[in-house]
Amino acid sequence: MEKIVEFSHVSVEFPGVRANDDVSFSVNKGEIFALVGENGAGKSTLMNVLYGIHTPASGEVFVKGEKVTKFDPKEAIRRGIGMVHQHFMLVPSFTVAENIVLSREPKKGILCDRKEERRQVADLSREYGLEVNPDDVVGDLSVGLQQRVEILKTLYRGADVLILDEPTAVLTPQETAELFAVLRRVVAERGMTVILITHKLYEVKEISDRVGVMRRGKLMGIHETASVTAEQLAELMVGREMAPTPEKEEMTPGEAALEISNLHADNNRGQEALNGLSLQVRRGEIVGIAAIEGNGQSELLEAVSGMRPYRGKITVNGGDISGKTPGEIRKLGLSHVPEDRLSTGVDKDASVSDNLLAGKEKEPEFSAHGIHLHPKAIRSYAQKLYEAFDIRGAGIDVTAGSLSGGNMQKVVIAREMSFGSQVLLIAQPTRGVDIGAVEFIHRQIRTQRAGGAAILLSSADLDEVLSLSDRILTVYEGKITGEFFPPYSKTEIGLGMTGTSKEAAHE
Amino acid sequence: MNKKKINWGYFGSLILSVVLALAVGAAIMAATGYDPLNAYHELFRGATGCDNLGQVFTGLFTKRQFGNTVEYAMVLFLTGLACAVGARAGIFNVGGEGQLYLGAIVSAYLGVVLNGLSPWIVIPVAALGAMAAGALYAWIPGVLKVKKKVNEVITTIMMNSIAIYFCAFLSNGPWKTSQPNRVSGTDPLDNVYRFTQLIRGSNLTTAIFASAIIAFFIWYVMSRTATGFEMKLTGHNPRFAKYLGLSVDKLVIGSMVVSGAICGLVGMMEAYGVRGNYQDGISNEYYFDGLLVAMIMGYRPVGIIVMSFFFAFLKVGAAGMELNAGVPGELYRIIQSVVIFFMAAEGGVKALLKVRRAGKEGAKHG
Amino acid sequence: MGNIFTTGLFRQMLRSATPVALAAMGGLLTEHAGVMNIGMDGMILIGAFVAVAVSVVTGSAALGVLAAILVGVLVGAFFALFVVKFRSDEFIIGTALNIFAGGLTVFLLGALFGVRGTLRTQAGLPTVDLPLIDQIPFLGEVLSGNSLFIYLTVLIVLIMWTLVYRTPWGRWLRASGEHPGALRTAGVSPEGMRWQASLLCGAFCGLAGAQLALGNVSMFSEGMSNSRGYVAFACVIFGAANPGKAYLAALMFGFFDALGYRLQEYNISSNLTSMIPYVITVIMMVYVVIRGQKKKAAV
Repeated sequence: MEKIVEFSHVSVEFPGVRANDDVSFSVNKGEIFALVGENGAGKSTLMNVLYGIHTPASGEVFVKGEKVTKFDPKEAIRRGIGMVHQHFMLVPSFTVAENIVLSREPKKGILCDRKEERRQVADLSREYGLEVNPDDVVGDLSVGLQQRVEILKTLYRGADVLILDEPTAVLTPQETAELFAVLRRVVAERGMTVILITHKLYEVKEISDRVGVMRRGKLMGIHETASVTAEQLAELMVGREMAPTPEKEEMTPGEAALEISNLHADNNRGQEALNGLSLQVRRGEIVGIAAIEGNGQSELLEAVSGMRPYRGKITVNGGDISGKTPGEIRKLGLSHVPEDRLSTGVDKDASVSDNLLAGKEKEPEFSAHGIHLHPKAIRSYAQKLYEAFDIRGAGIDVTAGSLSGGNMQKVVIAREMSFGSQVLLIAQPTRGVDIGAVEFIHRQIRTQRAGGAAILLSSADLDEVLSLSDRILTVYEGKITGEFFPPYSKTEIGLGMTGTSKEAAHE
Repeated sequence: MNKKKINWGYFGSLILSVVLALAVGAAIMAATGYDPLNAYHELFRGATGCDNLGQVFTGLFTKRQFGNTVEYAMVLFLTGLACAVGARAGIFNVGGEGQLYLGAIVSAYLGVVLNGLSPWIVIPVAALGAMAAGALYAWIPGVLKVKKKVNEVITTIMMNSIAIYFCAFLSNGPWKTSQPNRVSGTDPLDNVYRFTQLIRGSNLTTAIFASAIIAFFIWYVMSRTATGFEMKLTGHNPRFAKYLGLSVDKLVIGSMVVSGAICGLVGMMEAYGVRGNYQDGISNEYYFDGLLVAMIMGYRPVGIIVMSFFFAFLKVGAAGMELNAGVPGELYRIIQSVVIFFMAAEGGVKALLKVRRAGKEGAKHG
Repeated sequence: MGNIFTTGLFRQMLRSATPVALAAMGGLLTEHAGVMNIGMDGMILIGAFVAVAVSVVTGSAALGVLAAILVGVLVGAFFALFVVKFRSDEFIIGTALNIFAGGLTVFLLGALFGVRGTLRTQAGLPTVDLPLIDQIPFLGEVLSGNSLFIYLTVLIVLIMWTLVYRTPWGRWLRASGEHPGALRTAGVSPEGMRWQASLLCGAFCGLAGAQLALGNVSMFSEGMSNSRGYVAFACVIFGAANPGKAYLAALMFGFFDALGYRLQEYNISSNLTSMIPYVITVIMMVYVVIRGQKKKAAV
């Protein structure tokens, strides 16, 4: 077997984090190699090294037997490395052809040869069986097609090693199947090498020849895919037997506190994201939403919190929220842990103390008549929350932006859970959070449930949804496709998430 | 909310930047054939009226030049705070100059129309009129920004020109004085309405007391109230503020309106203090001077108030420097903007070094 | 009342529009590169000063123009150093640059030439007569015999359009502002594009200043840019950073500016007529933004 890429004792450091720690392995020519691991395990970082975006602090990288001396995308492209990033690197206003030829435009004199570039792209598209229209504007294309443009871009640049970072996270099952077919084809017919970054184990089993497992920046081992089970991989990823669903206090759910009926809403691109969705969450109950990213779960939580216009009916603690601002909805007894803490959940330029106080500044405890602030009361309150929620940083006076992801998330959780709200919306509670903090955050969520809160939970981490929820609703293309009760069958839920069990949902 | 700690890093880089800017000023003077030491001495004299530090301790408070310095510091901290009120909530009011002009002419006109009434009526009415004019004029770009996402920097800049020409039209046309010995401007205000001079021959009037109260009030609102707290969150991250349930639109427009009202009031103070009527050129880009002070101090109220005195010292002193050392007074603007460049450079270099250091440490670790 | 729409009106329109259009050509480059250039007004002012100062010293208008462009590039580099390299706030640096330019030009006026307010020069840019066209009634009178750069600007607009929309460089420039990551992963540095855009923007603003001072009049006067840098910025926005559309926007500004001058002959206060172009600019800004939002909503 010919080694096409080799990592030798590679370590990568970011301020305060060791993203890769002494990683050594090689990828063979003509194989599909899967790199798996949890969020933050260092998979993307390692591949960004190969693509020349990051420079390793130590160690060596070889491509086709040659040692890489300069870490630069241009250099990587020259060596035949192509990468499809998780967030597409496409210019929305450019056409398909313009995006594909970017930086190596065919020229006629000093001008772009537009005829030639269209011809080349059309040829390439035909050659690899990746159908695109060179004149379409990329911003108008579906995500699946955009990904296809990304793959064509790497092929145009002459890549024979293709890195795909979480390629299926945004795809429909059909698109995923198509993508896999394409990957198999380029490997079989073109002798290409594919490195696939993912955390979905069934995909690993389905498509890869070999698999490397990463955990906390370290490589845990390389296996022939055929000779390893998904359970074994999962164990390597998280470092122990998957924790059995923790014992939960038996709760008899009370009356419905959050009621949603026939909800419609659009996403940011103006497309329908929610299509007549109805659900109820009762007091003392955690309802989990299981859905693949982009199926409307984000819009659902935003609509309920007042951040997104909707049609249909939503009541919080019996009060209709139609036409109400986020502030007025909060007053009905709703709190919200948003999915993107950096853009929505914190003010990273304000202090930790300010972030903990935010939303309560007009309460009599903290300001006289909602005007004059009481700094002493605020400080002691913030300090109390800081300790109670085990936030670890340089105290309550530093900016929230200086905290690590997990601690920043604890700030959000601490603030939102201290309103005493009876309805809680929780999205991605542990995304990018270290293991220790995950346990803690889960405990907080259960505590709220025990206190009688009605909790609507949404997470990209299916295991998280499984372990926390009293009831799971699968959502696909803006509709509920199934309702599940413990003990959960992952297979059935997986089917619901991919929209294949619509009938089952209406049995 | 928490106890204010002095940010020594910021303080240090500020002092360094000011010193370096003064050095740049000296270098420019030397390069253009002036004697920097003599020029700075004249600047000192021009701003304090004192020949040396000794005199500062004995006779400063009677000096006409010192009065002018304090008066200009008042203009600077009010306009600077006006800028900060907007910036704190995330909207840049660059239109303070126009708001100031409108406030000046409206209040001056009210003073003429209401001539004969008690100053207890006229002065408050004029002040309210000036504030309303400035506020309304700031409200327009504020609403455009919030509701229609029209960039407020361009609209407010354009509205400056519009307001200044419009005021010039009024003061040379319908509201022009009937006194034959004046070519333009409104009728002079009756002396009973004017702020009383505090130091004879200087610009310093009792308006300083009103200004101090206003400055305290703004500081209080920005730093010690729930509304100021909400303004800060809105300015930092409007999406977060909306998510928290704050009335983001109201906060932003409100900040802009308050900012405009303060600028209008500064116009009134100029008309009722130094000038005694509205006249063209009543503000020589005063607002931009204040805006720079606010920027230099990162929109911190206390910092703006303190720094205003230093820049007023430079500005008023520069006039004396021009008169007695022949150095063009505009050197003041150069120094002021160079301070900003140095502070930005320092921040930029620090950020660059941080990235590089992180890389190096990583290398060592391997 | 006579006819308002005289040849003089349209000649004045071209005169007023050209410096704004030239600056807008620079501004649209930085706009495409994702840099908000508020500092154009100061760049124009410095360009105007340098053009007049050098032409006074050397007696040559051409050298004045050249010097204005070169100094413009320097100022552009200064701007890029902060905005691109140090990642300072564009708004703060731009505003500081404008104030710096105002202070520096007046200071140097006094320090180097010992005058306050204005500096006159004997040198001026040549005017060009267009053969044949000058025979056409009315149109010939408008189009012929104008200052050199009034014609060159039309050429520059065409070149700029080609550069931005038809060359690889133009694509990289647009990519650097719209999606820097796409450009970086293609092996081209977006920062490099921003640098180049800033330098060129400085050059164009220098040229705009030179045209303002040497083409339209033969003097420098204190603060003579008179917010034209901001108007140019508004033209860039109005024209969606397209050179042709930005030029049309500049012509519109020029038209209303000229109309203001014309109306003064009808005993309308010059103070009122001077407001017109600025009012139009605000209306233009509001119109284009609202229209853009409607378009987006319709998609």
